[in-house]
Amino acid sequence: MNVTFFIRLQTLVILFCFFFMNAVTICAEPVGQYIKIAKEGETKIPLVLKTLDYQKEKDGKYARDLDGIMESGLDFTGMFSLLNAPLNVFSGGDRYVVGERQVNFPALSSVGAELYAGGVMERRGSTINMAMEVYDVLTGKLMLKKLYSGKRDDLRSIGHRFCADLMELITGKPSVFDSRLAFVSLNGGKKEIFLSEFDGYGAKQVTSTGGMALTPSLSPDSGLLAYLTYSGGLPDLQIKDLATQKTVSVMKKGVKIDPSWRNGTLECATTFSFEGDQEIYMVDRNGSVGRRLTRSRGIDVSPSFSPDGRKMAFVSSRHGSPQVFIKDLSSGRESRLTFSGKYNTQPAWSPVDDKIAFTSMQKNGEINIFTINADGSGLRQLTYRARQNEAPGWSPDGSMIVFSSTRDGSRKLFMMNANGRNQRSLKLPGEQMQPSWSSLR
Amino acid sequence: MKSLKNLFRMLLVPSMLFFVGCGCCDEAVEPEIAPAPAPAPVAVAQLDDVFYAFDSSVLDMASQNQLKENAQWMMDNPEAAVIVEGHCDERGTNEYNIALGERRADSAKSYLVNLGVDASRMQTVSYGEERPFDPGHDEAAWAKNRRAHFVVQ
Repeated sequence: MNVTFFIRLQTLVILFCFFFMNAVTICAEPVGQYIKIAKEGETKIPLVLKTLDYQKEKDGKYARDLDGIMESGLDFTGMFSLLNAPLNVFSGGDRYVVGERQVNFPALSSVGAELYAGGVMERRGSTINMAMEVYDVLTGKLMLKKLYSGKRDDLRSIGHRFCADLMELITGKPSVFDSRLAFVSLNGGKKEIFLSEFDGYGAKQVTSTGGMALTPSLSPDSGLLAYLTYSGGLPDLQIKDLATQKTVSVMKKGVKIDPSWRNGTLECATTFSFEGDQEIYMVDRNGSVGRRLTRSRGIDVSPSFSPDGRKMAFVSSRHGSPQVFIKDLSSGRESRLTFSGKYNTQPAWSPVDDKIAFTSMQKNGEINIFTINADGSGLRQLTYRARQNEAPGWSPDGSMIVFSSTRDGSRKLFMMNANGRNQRSLKLPGEQMQPSWSSLR
Repeated sequence: MKSLKNLFRMLLVPSMLFFVGCGCCDEAVEPEIAPAPAPAPVAVAQLDDVFYAFDSSVLDMASQNQLKENAQWMMDNPEAAVIVEGHCDERGTNEYNIALGERRADSAKSYLVNLGVDASRMQTVSYGEERPFDPGHDEAAWAKNRRAHFVVQ
């Protein structure tokens, strides 16, 4: 056992701490849950994800596909180290009945596993049934037993529903598996906005602006997409209802920059300059411009709201160079958040706590991503020596950050854990930038 | 018109000596001789770009002098209406650069207004770092891209 460990609490309230040693997230859960306490920088959860068992030989290909989907899905979260199952993973019972087969916990312990997940699949016509079980290896406690069904041409959804349940069991929060990404794709000099699943899969173009669509922002429920384009050569803020494809335009004089939705509302904030200076205003989903939120001389841009929607991080050049500020929307008080570095922009407030990601341009020309607590403490650099790393966006559960990076030459979307670990490319074809990550709920 | 001009601009860069007086004026483009007639229908070269320091919309002496020439041209061509485009280099972040580009276009326009040019003849638009004049990745390119550019309509 290393420093990560499970504890079982039979009390009414369970403390849940995840990733951040210096900004512990605490939430209450019902009795009897298993909660992982993982301190920042510590190892991943050692998991044996046993390949699915099946009785009919011709079902094997579906089982193997599902195995691959679940393995890469769980690997994507960056939370697990996947271990090979011991040969004697079952010690008795009916191997093809989840819940009746006896899981060999000492054998799983011997390979270092703390969690075990496995299941049985069968096909009936075009329907796939996948019965899954998850055990805490240390205590032998059954944590999850559930049947997942779906059509055989939708294995991805079946596998990811299990991954989503497992993640929710461990983190107590909705997982990335129900979320969507919007991003700008650069192709042949033209920029259009695409929507995809959480990992870039199934990307589809959703704008046709003639090649100038920028700064997409998905509403928290993924129903609305706000973005900047140029209509008739002039900047235009558009808000698209993704269900109906109906689009409204805000054709005020001057720029429109970098909209961001306010949690708990159907309003976004964006920068306009129709009153002269670049200031941040609220805009409702119908394109009506509401109240003005900033009043300083100079550029005010790139709003991002706290989870409760009561505070807003934004960029201001009021002191000369761009820095991140926070505005309390009820008191109106504004305070400067970033003091280190001369060019700090692109704040992104975590959807679950008081952490804010932002980018800092450094003397060597690199742009790197940092996180900082909303009270100014806990500044932490997440990317290093990797050229331009920009536009951080949080996963809906706050566990991961999507960003663009030029570390491999062209600009690509990358993911990392919220503590900066496990950085990897989504490996989408072409160039992408300005990701926005949102939940489907 | 805009696409024609963009095409023209692309042709111009590698062969700047052949096309004189085109509208794609940048400081790098100041040919002395005119071997071929300018194919673009717009009247130009009289309105040259003005340039800025990094993260700045302040007009230095060279930019002010250029704007004085531009103002004179505007006075001499009272029918002309122009779009003042604000541009940035690729450094920094795209969102902030859209705002910075607008401040550059605004600073150039304000200066011309103060010299007596009717504000209603000028419209500003910012493209941030989206439309660099020079696609290079060094200071020589960046310096050309931090500019206010004038398009005669």
